[in-house]
Amino acid sequence: MDFKELLKQNAVFLDGAMGTMLQNAGLEAGAPPELLNLEKPELIESIHRKYIDAGSQIVYANTFGANRYKLKNHSVEEIIGAGIKIAKKACDGKALAALDIGPIGQLLEPSGTLTFEEAYDIFREQIIAGREADVIVFETMTDLYELKAAVLAAKENSDKPIICTMTFEENYRTFTGCCVSSMALLLNGLGVDAMGINCSLGPKQLAPVCEELLKWTDIPVVLKPNAGLPDPVTGEYDITPEEFAEQMKLAAAHGVKIFGGCCGTTPEYIAALKKAVDGAVCEKKNAKKQAAVCTPSKTVVINQPRIIGERINPTGKKLFKEALRNNDIGYILNQAIEQIHAGADILDVNVGLPEIDEKEMMIRAVKEIQSVTDVPLQIDSTIPEVLEAALRVYNGKPIVNSVNGEEKSLETVLPLVKKYGAAVVGLTLDQNGIPPKAEQRFAIAERILNRALEYGIPKEDVFIDCLTLTASAEQEAVMETLKALNRVKNELGLKTVLGVSNISFGLPNRPMINQNFLTMALTYGLDLPIINPNVDAMTGAVRAYKLLTNIDKNSVEFIAAYNDAAPAKPAAKKEESRSLGYAVENGLKEESANATAALLKDHEPMEIVNDVLIPALDKAGAQFEKGTIFLPQLILTAGAAQSAFAVIREKMMSENSSPVSKGKIVLATVKGDIHDIGKNIVKVLLENYGYTVIDLGKDVPCEEVVKAAVEHKVKLVGLSALMTTTLKSMEDTIKLLRESGADCKVVVGGAVLTPEYAEKIGADFYAKDAKETCDIAKSVVG
Amino acid sequence: MGQHGEISGSLEKTVDECEKKLLSAIRPNFVFRVFDIAFGENGVEVCGSSLVLKGNDIRNHLEGCSRAVLMCATLGADTDRLIRTAEITDISSAFVMDALASAAIEDVCRLADEEIKKQLPDCFFTWRFSPGYGDFPIEIQKDFLETLNAPKRIGLCTGENNILIPRKSVTAVAGISENPVPKKRRGCASCNMAESCAFRKRGDHCGF
Repeated sequence: MDFKELLKQNAVFLDGAMGTMLQNAGLEAGAPPELLNLEKPELIESIHRKYIDAGSQIVYANTFGANRYKLKNHSVEEIIGAGIKIAKKACDGKALAALDIGPIGQLLEPSGTLTFEEAYDIFREQIIAGREADVIVFETMTDLYELKAAVLAAKENSDKPIICTMTFEENYRTFTGCCVSSMALLLNGLGVDAMGINCSLGPKQLAPVCEELLKWTDIPVVLKPNAGLPDPVTGEYDITPEEFAEQMKLAAAHGVKIFGGCCGTTPEYIAALKKAVDGAVCEKKNAKKQAAVCTPSKTVVINQPRIIGERINPTGKKLFKEALRNNDIGYILNQAIEQIHAGADILDVNVGLPEIDEKEMMIRAVKEIQSVTDVPLQIDSTIPEVLEAALRVYNGKPIVNSVNGEEKSLETVLPLVKKYGAAVVGLTLDQNGIPPKAEQRFAIAERILNRALEYGIPKEDVFIDCLTLTASAEQEAVMETLKALNRVKNELGLKTVLGVSNISFGLPNRPMINQNFLTMALTYGLDLPIINPNVDAMTGAVRAYKLLTNIDKNSVEFIAAYNDAAPAKPAAKKEESRSLGYAVENGLKEESANATAALLKDHEPMEIVNDVLIPALDKAGAQFEKGTIFLPQLILTAGAAQSAFAVIREKMMSENSSPVSKGKIVLATVKGDIHDIGKNIVKVLLENYGYTVIDLGKDVPCEEVVKAAVEHKVKLVGLSALMTTTLKSMEDTIKLLRESGADCKVVVGGAVLTPEYAEKIGADFYAKDAKETCDIAKSVVG
Repeated sequence: MGQHGEISGSLEKTVDECEKKLLSAIRPNFVFRVFDIAFGENGVEVCGSSLVLKGNDIRNHLEGCSRAVLMCATLGADTDRLIRTAEITDISSAFVMDALASAAIEDVCRLADEEIKKQLPDCFFTWRFSPGYGDFPIEIQKDFLETLNAPKRIGLCTGENNILIPRKSVTAVAGISENPVPKKRRGCASCNMAESCAFRKRGDHCGF
């Protein structure tokens, strides 16, 4: 018997709780139950046997928490090996033994410090240790990213069937905010053998969550709930085996195929469950075939035009290139957030620049953007290794941009798309270039679709870009693009993508042409316009299109987008009249930016910096030292000055003169520490005073600090730590810096530091606050 | 936020806006469990679990108590994301939200206190003492959370450096007694913020 054969049955029965049985047998709270695999194997075996006797066809071995992080004095190999052996012995050919793997117990990046790669490695060790199992189960997962690491580890190190279940709350979300549809989209794509829901609540509460899941997948669905809800005082669960079984029938009626019990359930529950549900299982309705991409907390269904923001791309952008060279991730993150505020549904991410390591940068950009936003990403690179690296670390289901009709491209990109379960943009060009006629482009689109299907990529995950040519050079081609687009949409039934802005290249009044072309393309069936969402004429055209085609029912989105914005404009004018100094001192961000723009009309940029901004900052700094203003006002002032500097920087870049930097400073929150708000405040202040800050982020290994200090030849390194437990990392970092011979001073700060301690660990300076750090920078860097 | 006295108009506006955003992001949650305790050689033993509370400070704190409540509380992962995003676009809002979230988690702890008191109406409690206070080792964090099954029940975890994640979270122990417990003053000596305390710097005291 194997899992595939089991699935041919009407219903499949798992076991009930192991922990509940062990606690009934006297296990202490908090003690690792997996050690019993060595200490009391006969107890574990007897529990498995009771479940098998009750009707379980798959039993979960006692290996839930047996990972490197949780086990202290035992090896993973030993504990899991013993657990599987016991389960197999109990099964004796009558049931299947599953390697049971729960969450690692540590949160992954970006919330925690465990990296995706480390999580993968922890799971890999467990998978290998459990190689004798018949099935691999990942259960009680709340973090989709962790689950992705787990499934990849299983797929790449084993050929056993995989069952995944996550734990949802009554709001249809997990603790980390993952929604049901995103779980389904990722697991459909990775190709697991069953997926579902376990723990947290009883069958009654989880039945609707299951119903939602069934809409999103055609893979067999599992339900393994608790025995109702626990009593807060006694910890007892509140439904009987019969009630449990009755409630599970509800799930069976919706098309759930695999049934079991979690916390509070015992063999009696499984027996009752089997009696009630076997025979009551209904045929599952097919899930709706629809194009969708996601992050854990957001699913974007492409059932109407969705805007792909094009701004994260260095092509033709000096500031962006500069940011890539300086490893300035903050710049990219700002671009991401700005586009989302403007109305982007999906963000294209392209960080290709010949002189940087595109792969490293892409990994960092994907991880960092996903740590501060929740819109799905379109990964844009011409290099397959870069695509794969990004697909691996992306959390959710992304779009790959792009494949084309050339065989070489098809055979390198499509397997990646299949493996990681992404959607893909197919460009209608091949080794002969972009064909002029609509029917030729249509033929390439068809070829791409057929090859994708051969690789097992579902049709709804193939999006076609019929390619915009510039109207000034190839005027007759404009309508060919739209004709091809229309045929791809209607005859092949595929979603369409189009970069719009190229159309107007070399012509005057480009926004006018872009906007009209966009509207034309939308009426021809464009689903995914790639545009600059910050240009309101473009985003507005999409919004207006949705209103006019009755997609935006009752004009809700349109009104929401423009109703509030209308009265803001006259107010902004009034703000300009106030002085920049006033705006900065009072922490008024928008006013500061507006006033700066106004001043730039008849003043030199550096004049504004030296005569207005720096004096305003100095004044605030002095008041802060005297205690007449406090930290909140100081930061507000810094924030306002920051917005003024942004305007100045842009102006200088556009005039081909780069702003004068007073020198580079490396900042980092040390290894192990994730509290970096203090460091970020220091960064803003230093930047205001004209220093270029190389911000290495939080949880930074000692070696990276040294590498950056040497590479950028900085005179000053700033280190921050908030916890007593991470002061050791600070000491190690300073030690390594000294050993490297880097010619730099070190300033340290953080809540638990004192001047004495700073001296003890070998720092040159202790800064009690951000202002003092600036004073120190002035004395060291100049 | 280190602010004393009146706050200015623009700061007040920022605080109001930040409060609104924060309130939509927080998902307050807590768990607690009452255990019998025994004063053993190695520390205070939490009966029915493998946990031993080490250090003189926690021993003194629980003196005269026969039971203790172990609790933990969190604002959830969305709060972390909100503050993280603000740190990119608007550091002053991030700073304000961070401070507001610290106040909010204390409020959640008070809600937990009330719930605990409701369930044990005739008992007396000491104040909450957390791992990391005085000589109560912070290294207990992981086992403490496991004992309450906190990772599974409220999504609260820790890592190699014993930092609680989500960041705005609390773990604590309070003693339970059938008789009134003498009010213990926390005092600066047992406080790990003593060296850098803003209250102390201006010759003040936080009141504990």
